[in-house]
Amino acid sequence: MPNRIEITLKPELFDAEGEGIRQKAVDYFGIQSAAIRTVHILTIDADLSIDQVEMLRTRIFTNPVTQVSSLASLDIDFQWCIWVGYRPGVKDNAGSTAVEAIEDFLHSALKPGEAVYTSKRYCISGDGLTHAHMDTIAGELLANDIIQQWKIFSGAEWDPGEGIGYIVPKVQLNHVPTVTTIPIDSDRTLLALSKDRNLALHPNDISTIRRYFLKQSVQDQRATVGLSDPTDVELEYISQGRSDHCNHNTFGGLFRYTEAGPDAVEVVDDLFKTYIQTPTLSLKAEKPWVISVLWDNAGVGRFDDDHYYVITGETHNSPSNMEAYGGAITGIVGIYRDPMGTGKGSKLIMGSYGFCVGPRDYKGDLKPRLHPRRLLDGVIEGVRDGGNKSGIPTTFGQVLFHHGYLGKCLVFVTALGIMPAIVDDEPSDQKHIVPGDLVIMSGGRVGKDGIHGVTASSETFSETTPAGHVQIGDPYTQKKMHDFLLEARDSGLIRFITDNGGGGLSSSVGESARFSNGCRIELESIPLKYDGLDQWEIWISESQERMTIAVAPEHLDQFLTLSRRHAVESTVIGEYTDSGKLHITYGGTTCAYVDIDLLQTGFPQWEFDAEWIPPEQRGLVEPVISEPTDYNSLLLDILSRPNICSTEWITRQYDHEVQGTSVIKPLVGAGRDVNSDASVIRPVLESERGLAFSQAIIPMYAAIDAYHMTTCTIDEAYRRLISVGADPEEIGGVDNFCWPNIQYNPRTNPNGKFKAAQLVRSCRALREMCLAYGIPLLSGKDSMYVDGHLQGPYGETRKVSALETMQFSTSGVIEDIDCCQTLDAKLDGDLVYILGMTGNELGGSEYYAHYDYIGTNVPQVNPESSLELYRALATAIKKHLTASVHGIYRGGLGVHLAIVGMAGNLGMRIDLPKMPSENVSRNDTLLFSESAGRFIVTIDPRNRQHFEKLFKKQPVARIGEVTASPELVITGFTGTDIVNLSIEKLKNAWQNPFRDLR
Amino acid sequence: MSKVNVLVLTGYGLNCDNETAYAFEQAGADTDRVHINALIDGSVSLDKYQIMAFIGGFSWGDDHGGGVIQSVRMQTNIGDQMSTFIAEGKLIIGICNGFQALVNIGLLPGIDGDYVTRSVAVTYNDCGNYRDQWVSLKVNGASPCIFTKGLDQVEYPIRHGEGKFFADSRTIERLVGNDQIVLQYALADGIPANLEFPHNPNGSILDIAGICDSTGRIFGLMPHPEAFNHWTNHPDWSRRNELIRRGLSPAPGRITPGIQLFKNAVDYF
Repeated sequence: MPNRIEITLKPELFDAEGEGIRQKAVDYFGIQSAAIRTVHILTIDADLSIDQVEMLRTRIFTNPVTQVSSLASLDIDFQWCIWVGYRPGVKDNAGSTAVEAIEDFLHSALKPGEAVYTSKRYCISGDGLTHAHMDTIAGELLANDIIQQWKIFSGAEWDPGEGIGYIVPKVQLNHVPTVTTIPIDSDRTLLALSKDRNLALHPNDISTIRRYFLKQSVQDQRATVGLSDPTDVELEYISQGRSDHCNHNTFGGLFRYTEAGPDAVEVVDDLFKTYIQTPTLSLKAEKPWVISVLWDNAGVGRFDDDHYYVITGETHNSPSNMEAYGGAITGIVGIYRDPMGTGKGSKLIMGSYGFCVGPRDYKGDLKPRLHPRRLLDGVIEGVRDGGNKSGIPTTFGQVLFHHGYLGKCLVFVTALGIMPAIVDDEPSDQKHIVPGDLVIMSGGRVGKDGIHGVTASSETFSETTPAGHVQIGDPYTQKKMHDFLLEARDSGLIRFITDNGGGGLSSSVGESARFSNGCRIELESIPLKYDGLDQWEIWISESQERMTIAVAPEHLDQFLTLSRRHAVESTVIGEYTDSGKLHITYGGTTCAYVDIDLLQTGFPQWEFDAEWIPPEQRGLVEPVISEPTDYNSLLLDILSRPNICSTEWITRQYDHEVQGTSVIKPLVGAGRDVNSDASVIRPVLESERGLAFSQAIIPMYAAIDAYHMTTCTIDEAYRRLISVGADPEEIGGVDNFCWPNIQYNPRTNPNGKFKAAQLVRSCRALREMCLAYGIPLLSGKDSMYVDGHLQGPYGETRKVSALETMQFSTSGVIEDIDCCQTLDAKLDGDLVYILGMTGNELGGSEYYAHYDYIGTNVPQVNPESSLELYRALATAIKKHLTASVHGIYRGGLGVHLAIVGMAGNLGMRIDLPKMPSENVSRNDTLLFSESAGRFIVTIDPRNRQHFEKLFKKQPVARIGEVTASPELVITGFTGTDIVNLSIEKLKNAWQNPFRDLR
Repeated sequence: MSKVNVLVLTGYGLNCDNETAYAFEQAGADTDRVHINALIDGSVSLDKYQIMAFIGGFSWGDDHGGGVIQSVRMQTNIGDQMSTFIAEGKLIIGICNGFQALVNIGLLPGIDGDYVTRSVAVTYNDCGNYRDQWVSLKVNGASPCIFTKGLDQVEYPIRHGEGKFFADSRTIERLVGNDQIVLQYALADGIPANLEFPHNPNGSILDIAGICDSTGRIFGLMPHPEAFNHWTNHPDWSRRNELIRRGLSPAPGRITPGIQLFKNAVDYF
């Protein structure tokens, strides 16, 4: 008989959680309640005496100062009560730590199968509340039915003796693990089985797979280990390895690109090799600071003579779209394993986020699985818990709203680590495996979670996508493992390390075994969360918080002892060999035996037709707008737009200074509330060197041309780093492509060829910008199916595709953090300069978007002249000639002048026509054009000559000065003041939209 | 004179070990980062140390209240050793999660030598969420706290979801009477915040940000002095840097107000 402990705050104490829910019920659904009280419930499914449970209740789980608790139902008045608990098999982090506490306190371990399950009930009081209201609160606010279950009780039907009952969401599979052999008598059979088993094998791969298994030599070898036709373990392995998520088939594809009809087709064989690998390798050859790129879990650059920094980024879109919190926390915790698995392992030093979601106030009639508002709440909280509980500062982040992300949201996560340059007398970025080394799995256990996650993210989201791949990351377990692995590394115990992400052991062991040319794995030795998993499930499960490590046999004891010290589970699951085979057994019987290089050879390349249609031919034109007369209102309204306004409520939820390394915070300025251009940390506390980081996402320009979207995005990310004082010679990049499906299908994807052309153009822009600015791509990832089929009001579904999106991240070393600069105007009397040319480039701008236009004049980057300017500015910053530096980004000059003033709490008097411009005769164009390559710089008047000398032949002009009176005053072409607004008014407009959110 | 030895606890999701150790080293101490399990299995003994630091982080994920499980584990396994440590007149500091652990063990408020009773709590922020923000703090000069000697007004960052100090009015009165309230959230000019958000970021009663035991040798606080280990940690540093360059402000001292707090402890011995 399980026991139940109910815990709640003493009635006189404020229940912030309950109040938060009450407020959201009002704000989101107009449901008014008087009060909501939260009750935390522990259901202890273990053979314990009542005395023991009573002791646990009082000694551990109840705070005598703030809480009351009971083994019976707590007597709390309510009109309605909603109970919410997890479904079986969903990771219950609090349940696991409760078990740890109980075992520690009782000095004895719980028996296998015994567990603690956490749940909550919410006691809701107020008049006029209906069952339908409760359904809304439960289903739309408190619980997500793919991971949680709930029950609604009315006050009348509540039985205090029974309470919520005893709900034990225990997984019981009652299944004998079975290996199934798959017949391959014809392509059609295999294709049908692939569909039935949700293998997601690509139709083009079917014959290659069959050919391999039908080969006589292969059959002879397989016969020696008792195998004939392929097993499900083997086909699942191939499916994982060949998925677009793992194998990047799209980027490795062959593109037939045309801009001018079928007679002018240009063939691009492999986007990755052509546009990413080749330029990056040539830059690596020129730049000794680039240490390791393109092969490991993350890229490696030099921080100083004794340290390397490590960087990578990815997305976790599909899972977040279905279960925002779980998807996002799994994403951030997952990306943190990549630096841990890079080289011999690095310590995590920072993370960042980028959220792209539908409009927060969406009121249309399409029904995304989660409303954007709820989805955003969830991803914010997921990345918050994942980052904060990992003890890693989240120093940068962005959020972007656009209708296109209603179909599928984007959750970008980026991670940076640091490692000593030398570990155990070897360069830390290098690693190898010797046959005979043991294969060790450390961290979490294996369950059914995440099965087919990789193949699901390689498909477009539909109503029938299996929800089983949604997980909840566990930063606590991973933090313990992180600390353990760093100590093991420094003791010289790690020969090779890689993380378990997409594809689980199938990927991590399959790929690492190539370093020794083979492995033998004993599946029965792998610790499971519960019995009854099939062999193929153990092999491909994506259960989180696991690393795969090669350890020399002579180091095993020391490794396992250290693992126990850190309370981390580590298990020997096999041995690396040089047999040339991936050899998997279960209880002594072989269930997989394939060539270790099977996935590298003989599979057909994916092919795409790519047809570019210029914007004019797609019906885009420059809108006809006469010049506005009320610039004050216009500027205030643009400052209040969701993609411009303050999102401080998000930033404040992230610990951005744990580790004590903060130099430039995400929020800066006199009021500490304006977003900085980039963040800077001091990752080695003893050193004065800094590491700058920033990123940019401007998908709106892709509506005109993804080429210019890409150049502008890269320029912005680069410029952001220059603004804080980074060295232009040592800036690295990370590209994260998120694209709608590009495979043409006349019925389901009629503009697939155009999207494919956008991708080719984007990749070209990437290469050209990287070569021009000298940015090696330290890392990068792609996610290719950002489409959703949303339900409409008439039983129809409508496809919603995202804009072609690329997030570009930049990182760079700052020699001396004393030279770092921030964007806030510092002192009145300082001179205001504009660096860079403004053109008539309003296409895709926030200004046009404010009028619901797109236009055609998209900003174009001139990399050569820009780079010259950036180098001069870097020199000026280094020589202490600037007082503030800020890039001009989304929204244009008007918005960013306001930001510099708001941050400094100082006014500015600006003479607009003085700014360097080309073919511009209107104030609105100067104020809102989003031309790339520009900065606002303020300087001490005493530095004027020295400063101007650095920019002699450049488009640089002094356009005004900083004023003590806190007003932004802008004079236009006619010589009259077109803008005259107090800083307070500007700030109000900028902060108002999300002011009440916490 | 030999250096003062400091033990910084690590493991189980604690995460401010490196910077706390660094801060103590800047303050002149010798510091060891020691896993909780190394203390429990006896491979490291408390004897050698003069100062013990319970640090920030999310011990056991803080799933059952900040610092709760850590306090159970420490109390059950090395409660006696800690009692001896205190009886020997040594110092203990608890920062953020460490403060939560100290109040759950009962080492704080430690009124009149009672190091067992849990009479105060650090609970969920009134704002309903985790929050990272620098706060102004008023130091109680009359408090016996060793760590804050000579400090009057300081700024440190807070980073927590559970930082609201709570106790019944009788306990609060005793804390006030004994001058055990060491730090209060304040406005920029040092006047207590009087519960005004965000100056008081969590709704703490009487704006309490840190307390000590009756002897002043055990100290717990929610803000993170170790995160002010370099002058560039301060949110206004780049503004001040411009003033320094123009000769309008003196250069910052070598010892930040964050390091000073640790130095006071090290200098005590």
